Amino acid sequence: MCRANVIYNRRLNDRDFHMALRLPKEFVDPRPGQFVMLRPAAPEGPLLSRPLSVHRFTRLHDHVVLGLLYRVVGRGTAMFSRWSSGTEALVLGPLGNGFRIDGKKQEHILIAGGMGVAPMGYLADCLRGRNLGGQRMIFCLGAKSQGELIGLERLETMGGRLHISTDDGTMGTCGTVAELLPGILGGREPEAVELYACGPPGMLKSLASSLPGDFSCQASLEARMACGVGACLGCAMTMRTDGKGVVRKSVCRDGPVFDLREICWDEIVIT
Amino acid sequence: MGVEIGSLRLKNPVMTASGTFGYGEEYAPYVDLNRLGAIVVKGLSWKPRLGNPPPRIMETPAGMLNAIGLQNIGVKAFISGKLPFLRNFDVAVVANVYGETVEEYLRVCELLTATSGIHALEINVSCPNVKKGGVAFGTDPEMIAEVTGRARGVTDLPLLVKLSPNVTDITAMAAAAESGGADGICLINTLTGMSVDVERRVPHLKNITGGLSGPAIKPVAVRMVWEAARTVKIPVIGIGGIMTAADALEFIIAGATAVQVGTANFVNPKATLEILSGLGAYMNRHGVGSIKELVGSLTT
Ligand SMILES: Cc1cc2nc3c(=O)[nH]c(=O)nc-3n(C[C@H](O)[C@H](O)[C@H](O)COP(=O)(O)OP(=O)(O)OC[C@H]3O[C@@H](n4cnc5c(N)ncnc54)[C@H](O)[C@@H]3O)c2cc1C
Ligand SMILES: Cc1cc2nc3c(=O)[nH]c(=O)nc-3n(C[C@H](O)[C@H](O)[C@H](O)COP(=O)(O)O)c2cc1C
Ligand code: FES
Repeated sequence: MCRANVIYNRRLNDRDFHMALRLPKEFVDPRPGQFVMLRPAAPEGPLLSRPLSVHRFTRLHDHVVLGLLYRVVGRGTAMFSRWSSGTEALVLGPLGNGFRIDGKKQEHILIAGGMGVAPMGYLADCLRGRNLGGQRMIFCLGAKSQGELIGLERLETMGGRLHISTDDGTMGTCGTVAELLPGILGGREPEAVELYACGPPGMLKSLASSLPGDFSCQASLEARMACGVGACLGCAMTMRTDGKGVVRKSVCRDGPVFDLREICWDEIVIT
Repeated sequence: MGVEIGSLRLKNPVMTASGTFGYGEEYAPYVDLNRLGAIVVKGLSWKPRLGNPPPRIMETPAGMLNAIGLQNIGVKAFISGKLPFLRNFDVAVVANVYGETVEEYLRVCELLTATSGIHALEINVSCPNVKKGGVAFGTDPEMIAEVTGRARGVTDLPLLVKLSPNVTDITAMAAAAESGGADGICLINTLTGMSVDVERRVPHLKNITGGLSGPAIKPVAVRMVWEAARTVKIPVIGIGGIMTAADALEFIIAGATAVQVGTANFVNPKATLEILSGLGAYMNRHGVGSIKELVGSLTT
């Protein structure tokens, strides 16, 4: 757990924020898809830390800067939104397994629903860092409406191709991001593309059912967490094993990234 | 700082609580395991257990509810896959034992007794989140005495019995464990609780009810430790909402020989070590030479 200071905490719309934290240089470079557990240094707020994905990461001479993108949904995130420059925080991480990047794949398709865009920003940075960016990246972004399409400007500057859907049709195609996919995958070879997805469970589930049989997809799951390190087994999700049955895996330690087809949807609460 | 519980010698009284510290390895990057009084590992059953379906946890005011359902890899996989790592450390390893039947408890105890690297057994008769065994045993003094007595018959390891607070009279349960031959009793396990999502009108946990832990339960735990320590002659290990050295001291002064730290590990992975150094600072400040002088030093 290391001490961090808020550099800035900007409001992006009604309920979304972008926060940058300054951390000591000992903080190791995250892999894309990894997350941190965040809490205030002062004894206030909820008991447990809250998991947030690494959205940006910059290593500087004597410190590092961690960028987080978050949505206010409850008590913990509401507290984060009240932090300002200088606020002291505690950060545990980077945690989890993250996305695998296969440099041999021709195209990388990044699918994000709502706040699912948070890990995709850093994944795109990492792809670019390995010369897999530009036209080799395809972004599929979905949101409730135009106002909630966050991180768009930055992704636009990355040179990837952009597909957008909104539930209310205020921007891009009217519908969900899962509905965009068959059109994009048509004509592409499963071996040539890598798919990465993050978003609410409902979106991931419809993605799983609309994904053509021979494509696979790395999906980042969410779960309520207590420890973040695999000790409490509170974040377990049910996964299929090769034909034999089910196992429970910890989202924090075995995930948060899983093979989309491995996820057993029967036991996932979709709100 | 050293304390004894039967023949179990601990270099200090700060232990980890079962189910909150995994198998030790999860926290090894953050905590020097050699410095702990003991590591109590996640509850072990004979066969691997899937545990309860998700969601399994929910934060509540000053605490959390959990219904893990004793998910674990089974005692054999623990011995082959997890124990070798723990043997690298100079720390007492306590195995928390669970069974659906008395026979299952005994099989697990026998196997662990025959294994090197286990320093004590903690019989869990208090898990509120499983249908059989667990708290079903822990609310009946006769069952506690029977499970303890029969475990005593199959092991020469120090035997601890972990009690449930979900009872009317904790002293009857503590006395039953003592009469069964326990070397120490540990309390408390979690208090059964429930929380409701009012928007969706469903319970927050799939299991509906769960076990409450964290600061919210501390006063209940201190009271029960005090009552139990006045009733039995064997050492009592205090558990429940310990976040700081001051919390640990409340238990020790009320009668606990040692303490276990649970939920606090989630909040701060270094909680155990910070509690330990806080105990040292307190002893210096009060001119206390041995932690044992503090045990049960409450004046009323
Ligand atoms: C690996 C991982 C990465 C995440 N990354 C981000 C991110 O980059 N940006 C972001 O905004 N959010 C992210 N989340 C979700 C975020 O952790 C939750 O929104 C947050 O914990 C809610 O806390 P709260 O106190 O504000 O809400 P609470 O009051 O605890 O809950 C409000 C609502 O959110 C639900 N909720 C609570 N915790 C979680 C959770 N961990 N996952 C999903 N739903 C939850 C509750 O069931 C409830 O419906 C991530 C979650 C995980 C597991
Ligand atoms: C997530 C979780 C899992 C637990 N698993 C076990 C277990 O396997 N066996 C057991 O005897 N107690 C278990 N407990 C109970 C704790 O060991 C401890 O008795 C209880 O949490 C109270 O202490 P605390 O308030 O410090 O957490 C668990 C508690 C939590 C929070
Ligand atoms: S949050 Fe504790 S095991 Fe995942």
